[in-house]
Amino acid sequence: MEKIKQNAFVKKVGFNRIVLIFVLLLMYLAFGALTGGSFFGFSRILNTLNYVYFLGFLSLGVTFVIATGGIDFSIGPVMYCCALVAGYSLTTYGVPMGLSLIMSILIGVLFGVFNGYLVAYWKVPPFIVSMASMNIGKGIAAVFTKTQSVSWPQSNTDGGWYRNLVSMNGIPVGLIIFLVVAVVCAVVLNKTEWGRYMLCLGSNEEAVRLSGVNVKKWKMLAYIICGTLVGIASIFFVAAYTTVQPGYGDQYNNEAIAGCVMGGTSMAGGLASISGTVIGVLIISLLQQGILALGFTKDYQYIITGLIVIAAVYADVSARRRKN
Amino acid sequence: MANKKSFGGLKVREAMVLGIIVAMIILFSILSPTFRTYPTLVSVLDNSYYITLMALGVTFPLITGGVDLSIGTGLASYALIGGFLVVQKGMPIGVGLLACIGIGVLIGLFNGVLIAIMDLPPFLATLCTCMITRGLGPALCGGFGVSWPSAISSQGAFRNVFKFIAPNGMVVPVGIISMLVLVAVMSFVLDHTRVGRYTIAIGSNKEATRLAGVNIKFYHVLAYVISGFFAGLAGIAYASTYATIYPGSGAGFELDAIGGAIVGGVSASGGVGTILGSFLGVIVICLMKVGLPFIGLQANWQQIFTGIVLIVAVLIDVVKKKK
Amino acid sequence: MGDIILTMKGIDKSFPGVHALDHVDLEVRKGEVLALMGENGAGKSTLMKVLTGIYKKDSGTITYEGKEIEFKNTREAQDAGIVIVHQELNMLGHLTVAQNLFIGREFKKGIRIDDKKMNEEAKKLFDRLNVQIDPTETMSNLTVGKQQMCEIAKAVSFDAKVIIFDEPSAALTESEIEEMFKIIRDLKKKDIAMVYISHRMDEIKVITDRVTVMRDGAYVGTLITEECTKEDIINMMVGRVIYEEPKTESAVPADAPVVLKVEHLNAGRMVQDVSFELRKGEILGFSGLMGAGRTETARALFGADPKESGDIYVNGKKVTINTPQDAVACGIGYLSEDRKRYGIVVQKTVAENTTMASMKKFMNGIFINKKKENEVAEEYVEALATKTPGVDQLVVNLSGGNQQKVVIAKWLTRNCDILIFDEPTRGIDVGAKNEIYKLMNKLVAEGKSIIMISSEMTEILRMSDRVVVMCEGKKTGELDISETKQETIMNLATREIE
Repeated sequence: MEKIKQNAFVKKVGFNRIVLIFVLLLMYLAFGALTGGSFFGFSRILNTLNYVYFLGFLSLGVTFVIATGGIDFSIGPVMYCCALVAGYSLTTYGVPMGLSLIMSILIGVLFGVFNGYLVAYWKVPPFIVSMASMNIGKGIAAVFTKTQSVSWPQSNTDGGWYRNLVSMNGIPVGLIIFLVVAVVCAVVLNKTEWGRYMLCLGSNEEAVRLSGVNVKKWKMLAYIICGTLVGIASIFFVAAYTTVQPGYGDQYNNEAIAGCVMGGTSMAGGLASISGTVIGVLIISLLQQGILALGFTKDYQYIITGLIVIAAVYADVSARRRKN
Repeated sequence: MANKKSFGGLKVREAMVLGIIVAMIILFSILSPTFRTYPTLVSVLDNSYYITLMALGVTFPLITGGVDLSIGTGLASYALIGGFLVVQKGMPIGVGLLACIGIGVLIGLFNGVLIAIMDLPPFLATLCTCMITRGLGPALCGGFGVSWPSAISSQGAFRNVFKFIAPNGMVVPVGIISMLVLVAVMSFVLDHTRVGRYTIAIGSNKEATRLAGVNIKFYHVLAYVISGFFAGLAGIAYASTYATIYPGSGAGFELDAIGGAIVGGVSASGGVGTILGSFLGVIVICLMKVGLPFIGLQANWQQIFTGIVLIVAVLIDVVKKKK
Repeated sequence: MGDIILTMKGIDKSFPGVHALDHVDLEVRKGEVLALMGENGAGKSTLMKVLTGIYKKDSGTITYEGKEIEFKNTREAQDAGIVIVHQELNMLGHLTVAQNLFIGREFKKGIRIDDKKMNEEAKKLFDRLNVQIDPTETMSNLTVGKQQMCEIAKAVSFDAKVIIFDEPSAALTESEIEEMFKIIRDLKKKDIAMVYISHRMDEIKVITDRVTVMRDGAYVGTLITEECTKEDIINMMVGRVIYEEPKTESAVPADAPVVLKVEHLNAGRMVQDVSFELRKGEILGFSGLMGAGRTETARALFGADPKESGDIYVNGKKVTINTPQDAVACGIGYLSEDRKRYGIVVQKTVAENTTMASMKKFMNGIFINKKKENEVAEEYVEALATKTPGVDQLVVNLSGGNQQKVVIAKWLTRNCDILIFDEPTRGIDVGAKNEIYKLMNKLVAEGKSIIMISSEMTEILRMSDRVVVMCEGKKTGELDISETKQETIMNLATREIE
């Protein structure tokens, strides 16, 4: 085992990541076999992926927040808020499609600023801020839409071009965009000053502060990046599902955090991996598809996702305890 | 505990919240004549029972410095399962009620073990159980809504505990009496028993409490069990005041309860809080919920206000601590 | 004088790399107050921790009331009647005084906690001790002094026969100390034995009967308080042979420019009206006993903690320092005594820690220039002789001395000219210590200036050009190294407060 871990290639890719990829493949084969082969096929995969890009963006976003040692579980409802407010403006007030999409992202950014400011500058505990944002996001969405669901345009209608963001004539545009954004996130986290400081302050905030670094600024930035990605996620959500209903969105918090934690990002902060998050989201999505394919309802997804996050967090907690 | 100054037996914070309640009632009454009617009062109270019960329970984890996010989806889930056993499986009503509370206690125990013994962060652990309970009810009951027996049927007598409908159609909100009794009982538990004393001690200084020879793991787990127990009770209250329980409902209910508790003076960092305060805080939230439509605002404004009020209540704490 | 109640004989205790207690003897009698004295790190606290079961002794015997005993934890010691009154208070701020006193052993009436009885018992206890504390007051509303009284009352309520005071007066005002002494005299009359750990010479003279002195983990001797002078005690405390050559005169020319001037710095109780100057190329030692306010002074100067008032001049120019950012911009770097918490990010690499304070220099547009980062880190690894397999090594895997070098490299990379070393060699083994000393000498030779806070007398004497001595948050003296002796420092550090 040690020998494998010391292998140059394994070291470069990361042992945990290789394990994760194996888990992914095994699960895929297992589900494929259990469902009698209906699970296989390239177009089937792509088709399934169309419905999970949004989750990927949420996961990428929350990775930054968790890297700083914080948490944000308002992301699901805030994503709904973006989609509902922008969508309602589109359908009711005739705001052009392009502008609506920009609006979606802007709303996400605003929530990021709000959360980040309260956590970084006012030292309000992140879980309280999350709870408040969740309420405010749901409330704004419901008030704005008068508690009606919003249907974004269908593909062949006026303004339906936005759906091409997910898939255009069989070209997996969504996959390309997602991977590009993931690469950008990885670069930001690992190659720039932003990511460096976020990871460092997640690891030891006081030492970074005493090095003369403006830790508040970087902490807030992590929440803003998260908010931006939540805004982008809302676009991919409506592009896949078109209809959004106010009052929901909570379940995606857990799924997004699950992807993140599965991928090896530590809840204590300081340790985060974008590629891990990408694989983690794939595993979660595959699991959910598999559960459905095996004939179980969505409810089992909730239960199993919950248990998986508990297991992943416990693994992280006990690994840290061993180190100390 | 924070201050000994009192107004007629109330702590400063409690008196403040009571003042807010009175101010809100006066404001709503002036702005809307229809608000000052008996049905509105009943409606406020009907809305408050399940939230009050959740808040009484969740006050304990909050005082230890933790949180329990699983109570909202939990209560819907427990009510769903209990009702399913009675309506679909033909079990006696007592079994249904016991199941409702029993599953709540079990989930509370599960939370407690994750947090106090396995050391998981409270918000994350209970966020997971929030998802689990959300799936649990529908998964066990086949994903359909459940209507508990109505008040007029022989099995629906339990509803009268919360809302008594007299033969002449007069609605008597008797639930408020049960609530006041429970507030008194839980105040006693928090202020005058070892359970409460050690709950506060854990939130105040866990290590010093351990050094004093207290079995902190037991009392820490117990705080979550209490929270689960009251989530079960809240499930029953919800089932008796509302006709049907739909699968997947309950998400976000916990925020009203936690928000109420924090408005009522429970500190987000633990160690401080009273049961009466939590109760009064919940009344503020419920008044917003029911009252806002009377002054021409949608009910959903309440959610936005709750969010803002939550932040403001915590900021007061933060600023106080800086001094 | 009463009978012997407690005897510790030949107590030996080693921690990895440190021989903390070397065959120490101690004898306590009924109804006496025994002072336990010694410099920082002499082993006083360790000895008391061995007694009360927090540490397990390697060898030696403890005899208590005629029986040989060994406690497994403080609770057992408590039950037997040996109680420590801690320096840091173990209080539950949100509970009342009475609730604190009886936590874990509440009186009960059925399932109800009998708060009334607890209040009464607490009142009786306070009456007996002659202190005015309302048992129903919330703990956090009391002054530190009153909280300390509660701790003492708690100890008494355990029916203690031996009470250990670990620097009880550190946080008390004059009148509170007077009040505490009254209690101690009272307890003496009740035949209770007390061990009193303190640095305050005047208190020792007033309240104790005998003085036992420890030095470097060993027993030095015991004196009758009445029969000895302050000088006798100090001589016993510092009477060690200095192996390393102490500096005999300052290496800094008298006309060297002043690079840092601090005037009337105030920050809470621990920093009161502190003023000093630092010259170019100088090592300014800050000496004093634990809790003298040296670290607090450094942190306030560096902007790490808020300050109330005070002017700071860097190179003759007045500057405003409110945050560490401001301090770093002025070219001041701070090396904390607690490296793991305040100095390094242990889960990051040597290179990442080296460039942490000066990221801007390593940016290539928006990207970090890792090549340059590694080059600079490697330069410093070589220059400071840091032992690490490579600059991509996680700092957590380095030894204490090498971690310290990484922190030094961080400030040098930032071009800081004024470095504050807070206990630069704490937790570092002897060989690595010498290297750090050489490094500091090299730095001043290159024109940097250093403030060195140290609790080790030998370190102060060996490294400093001038020495500032602090005591209880005030500067009590400033000495040129040529006139500095151990005794003079110790005299200033334990100066009686008028």
